[in-house]
Amino acid sequence: MPVAGQVSDGFPVGNFFKAPGTPVNPKVEVSWNRYYTYDGLLEISQQLVKAYPDLVTLESIGKSYEGRDIWVLTVTNFSNKPHREKPGFWIDGNIHANEIQCSEISLYTAWYLVELYGKNSFITDLLDEKVFYIAPSINPDGREYYMRQANTVNSPRSGTIPLDDDGDGEKAEDGYDDLNGDGHITQMRRRSPFGQFREDPDDPRRMIPVKPGEFGEWELLGLEGLDRDGDGQINEDRIGYYDPNRDWGWNWQPDYVQRGAYHYPFALPENRAVKDFVMNHPNIAGAQSYHNTGGMLLRGPGTREDEHLYSRDDRRVYDALGELGDKMIPGYRYLVLYQDLYTVYGGQIDWFHFGRGIFTFTNELFTSYLYLHNQPEGWFGSQKDQYFFDKYLLFEDAFVPWEDFEHPQFGAIQIGGFKKNFGRINPGFMLEQDAHRNMAFTLHHAYHTPKLEIHEVTVNDLGGGLREVIAVVANTRLIPTHSSIDLINSIERPNYISLEGASVLAGMIVHNRDLNLVEEQKVHPSVIEVGNIPGMGFVTVKWIIDGGRNFNITVDSAKGGKISYSQP
Amino acid sequence: MHNKILFFVGWLFLLTLPFHAVSQQDYPNHQQLSDHLQQMARNHPDIINLKSLTKTYGGKDIWLVTIGRGTVTERPAITIVGGVSGDRIAGTELATQFIEKLVARASNDRNISALLDSITFYVLPDMSPDAREQYFAPLQYERFGNAKPADLDRDGKVGEDPYNDLNNDGMITLMRIKDPTGNWMKHPADERVMVKAQPEKGERGQYLVFSEGIDNDKDGQFNEDGEEGVFFNKNFSFKYPAFTRGAGEHPMSEKESRAIADFLFEAKNVFAVISFGPANNLSEPLRYNERDASGRIPTGWLEEDIKINQMVSLAYNQHMKGNKLPGDNDNNGQELPEEHDTEYDIDTDETKSSPPDNRPLSERLDLSNGKGIPGSDGDFFQWAYFHYGRFSFSTPGWWIPATTDEAPGSRGSRNGNRAANQDSNPELEFLRWAERENINDVFVPWTPISHPDFPGKEAEVGGIKPFVKKNPPYELTETLATKHLEFVLSLASKRPVTEIMNVNTESLGNNLFRITVDVVNRGSFPTVSQLGQRNRWVQKTVVRITPTENQQLISGKMIEVVDVINAQSSLERSWLVRGKGNLTIRAGAESTGFSEVSVSL
Repeated sequence: MPVAGQVSDGFPVGNFFKAPGTPVNPKVEVSWNRYYTYDGLLEISQQLVKAYPDLVTLESIGKSYEGRDIWVLTVTNFSNKPHREKPGFWIDGNIHANEIQCSEISLYTAWYLVELYGKNSFITDLLDEKVFYIAPSINPDGREYYMRQANTVNSPRSGTIPLDDDGDGEKAEDGYDDLNGDGHITQMRRRSPFGQFREDPDDPRRMIPVKPGEFGEWELLGLEGLDRDGDGQINEDRIGYYDPNRDWGWNWQPDYVQRGAYHYPFALPENRAVKDFVMNHPNIAGAQSYHNTGGMLLRGPGTREDEHLYSRDDRRVYDALGELGDKMIPGYRYLVLYQDLYTVYGGQIDWFHFGRGIFTFTNELFTSYLYLHNQPEGWFGSQKDQYFFDKYLLFEDAFVPWEDFEHPQFGAIQIGGFKKNFGRINPGFMLEQDAHRNMAFTLHHAYHTPKLEIHEVTVNDLGGGLREVIAVVANTRLIPTHSSIDLINSIERPNYISLEGASVLAGMIVHNRDLNLVEEQKVHPSVIEVGNIPGMGFVTVKWIIDGGRNFNITVDSAKGGKISYSQP
Repeated sequence: MHNKILFFVGWLFLLTLPFHAVSQQDYPNHQQLSDHLQQMARNHPDIINLKSLTKTYGGKDIWLVTIGRGTVTERPAITIVGGVSGDRIAGTELATQFIEKLVARASNDRNISALLDSITFYVLPDMSPDAREQYFAPLQYERFGNAKPADLDRDGKVGEDPYNDLNNDGMITLMRIKDPTGNWMKHPADERVMVKAQPEKGERGQYLVFSEGIDNDKDGQFNEDGEEGVFFNKNFSFKYPAFTRGAGEHPMSEKESRAIADFLFEAKNVFAVISFGPANNLSEPLRYNERDASGRIPTGWLEEDIKINQMVSLAYNQHMKGNKLPGDNDNNGQELPEEHDTEYDIDTDETKSSPPDNRPLSERLDLSNGKGIPGSDGDFFQWAYFHYGRFSFSTPGWWIPATTDEAPGSRGSRNGNRAANQDSNPELEFLRWAERENINDVFVPWTPISHPDFPGKEAEVGGIKPFVKKNPPYELTETLATKHLEFVLSLASKRPVTEIMNVNTESLGNNLFRITVDVVNRGSFPTVSQLGQRNRWVQKTVVRITPTENQQLISGKMIEVVDVINAQSSLERSWLVRGKGNLTIRAGAESTGFSEVSVSL
């Protein structure tokens, strides 16, 4: 819904005519059909700050292993209230180096919010009431390594700390070798009288296995590389390997239990920076950590043993949001991580939920369903669909044609295959749509962070100078101020509902107003501590005061924000 | 000018004095410890390297002392850690005196001196300097947490209910309040000791017992959120006790825990870690528990590693016995724990911060009398085994011998009457032991006070002084340190050592040769622990053959990673090589040393 007073979009703006749902003439022009380097992301971020200084700031929250800044955009209406007094929403992307579109989608969100502030009422309310903390890339070293070094679609997943993957005492001594110098690590094949593969008659670029009892013309030799260290293995010790998403401080397990775990929880500087920021912003009530791939809206837990810690109330919140997302993004499914995908110890999603009480989703961006709207087979869909899609929609842009190469160990071979930018990240023309749909889901998630309202204040004269003040504080959104795990572990301080400007003799939480079931707070009755203000619910408090006609009531909630009411 | 030189010479002289020549009477504080370490490093630059790994929130250095000559990183190392728990100040002293005594021994014992060419000791004397300093503070209490502000009771307020020194004696003990709702009573055998009444035996409680203080924040709990922060020994990632008191906001949140972990992961040569703390697997080895040791996440030591624990424990007990330390039993001097009592207190901070009700005596008072426990959640001792993958040994270093079996009326029993509460009582045992050994000044007599939270009630402050039950009188540390030095040296002699032996070359004709060698582990430790075999941060033995350019490897691996070579075991490897020349074969790992042979074909 447009904000009142806007020029109708039924007419052109300059040379442009509005497509619904998209800014018609944005101050910051961005092409959302390509990917950006670390510097490219920074440049767009800086342009947003310059164009909308009242709505967005940019700060570095720490340095990566290689010394790059981890940038965070803070997006809100800065003029109405300190951002720390608004419910906060965290968005990050690219924790896995090769999952690069997470950054563009995060940045699209920042761009969309500021460009439509004051133009669309949903967006305007959102920035008036909430604050977004957006970190487009929390693995900038890995992002750069993915783009600037030769890689496959799956590499690197980690950051760039060199480790000894094969246990021989040397670090990262036998990585991929870009034999044909094209920046893509593709396949190696060799003609062989005993080959197990032949060319697909429908698309000769594609290798298909022979039928039982046949020989083909080709044998596959794995990914482009050499045996650099002479140990009889190829590409066995690349940059990394560790998994930044196995590094978080909830149910963390070492590498022999959870492959990819680094030395200890938060041993990675990038995650530590995020952790410190989150700890320092207790107003963060919801979070999204973008990944690829597979078209999933994932909630935790990462392990079966933690499932019982998701209370029914918490699950309801996740289910309501997840089922909404399921409808909003065709081809995406709402899933539970440990149950529907795999077990993850020490995952980010679990630390956010269990370690901080933050309602968190991970969207696995892109799905092969989007190629031809066939139900996906496995992670990347059917190979046949991929070849078809590349041939007819991308005009074979995603494939390195097979070419001869003289390999020092294998002799005459051919190198070719799908490029690193195909399979997990969106083809250019499909990026903006996926960005928008996932952003929309995330904005609804953010919309449902707590919204507290002082719904009712009633003053009753009790005679003899005593009066009772009853306040009803409502939360009109799905997410409670405190999740169940938060209450169990006292992760976040209680909500403080306080009355100032009158002498408070007694204070109490009212459990049942009709039957006057109350729980008195004997110490500091003017500031009533309330454990939780449930989603789509309310709490009632009561004070007995002596004198003071004009008083103020303040609700101070870490995740629900701070609001006040003045009794005239 | 002349004076200046004289002054300088005098200063040098002071520096070279042995530390204890400056008549140390009591445990040194952090500054004295730092000075001492710096002095030793200055005096022995050839074998001691001193480094500060980090500074704590309280501004104190976490010291790392590296002892060894030459290339210290490529040969087996033992890490010794003190200050694992801030209340165990003796551990820091034992670690420090280890350095001092080792250096002294090296200067007049050629074997020990030579040992420093083939083994490295990493000593971290104090991992809890912020907490340990409370021993020296104007208000003394057993402290565990560092100086980082923490909300210990997680009520949203930081440090709002500290201890209060109600009797102005500079230390925190207990307080007892006469109250019919209390379930504590005076011990019939010694009225100074408070015990929980056992109603089933006809006993009646008459007292409330708390740690000394007032309920500053009026929340009904005493001293539950004082100035201390995160506990080093609760901050580690193995079985991390999330959101419990003192554990911090998440595992490895503290500079201290990260500093030692970062150092250790870099120190690939460490094969064993010895810590002085509440855990004990030295005077009694851990037991094998198949259920705990199996499964995706092992929580018990693996079977082969238990055997090593038994071997090391045997050595420990041999070195600890026979010394007439005060507290050793007269009969055989081998006063060792028999069974771990499952009732043992976790030995953390329970005495001082417990809420007024529902705390069993066993949790409020340290029933183990310092003897130790098999490990506690989030501790360093278990982390070193389960997450660092090394052999981990821990001992409190000192404890009070039990006198439970003494018959009523025997020596040490105050009045021969224990009609009631016949349970083993560690406080009673401690007091008897102290009396027997003429160690005075361990008890603050119960003194009436007026307590604001209990107006009109009979309230007293008193009890065993802080630290004295868990730490020996300072003068005992010298003997203890010597025993522990001998023990560590015996451990060093058992270290895993890789050696290439029995090099055999056969000529097969026409420039074709077969080389056969044995790769031997000469030590009494395996090259890596059984659990360490799974741990990628534990370097396995690498066997590498490097032919010259003119030679060709026809058969055999150029590089091989061997999971483990067991104690005093070997494996045979052979290669076929074509061509003449000198090739090298190298085998080993940092934690076992490297062995290299040159083979001439």
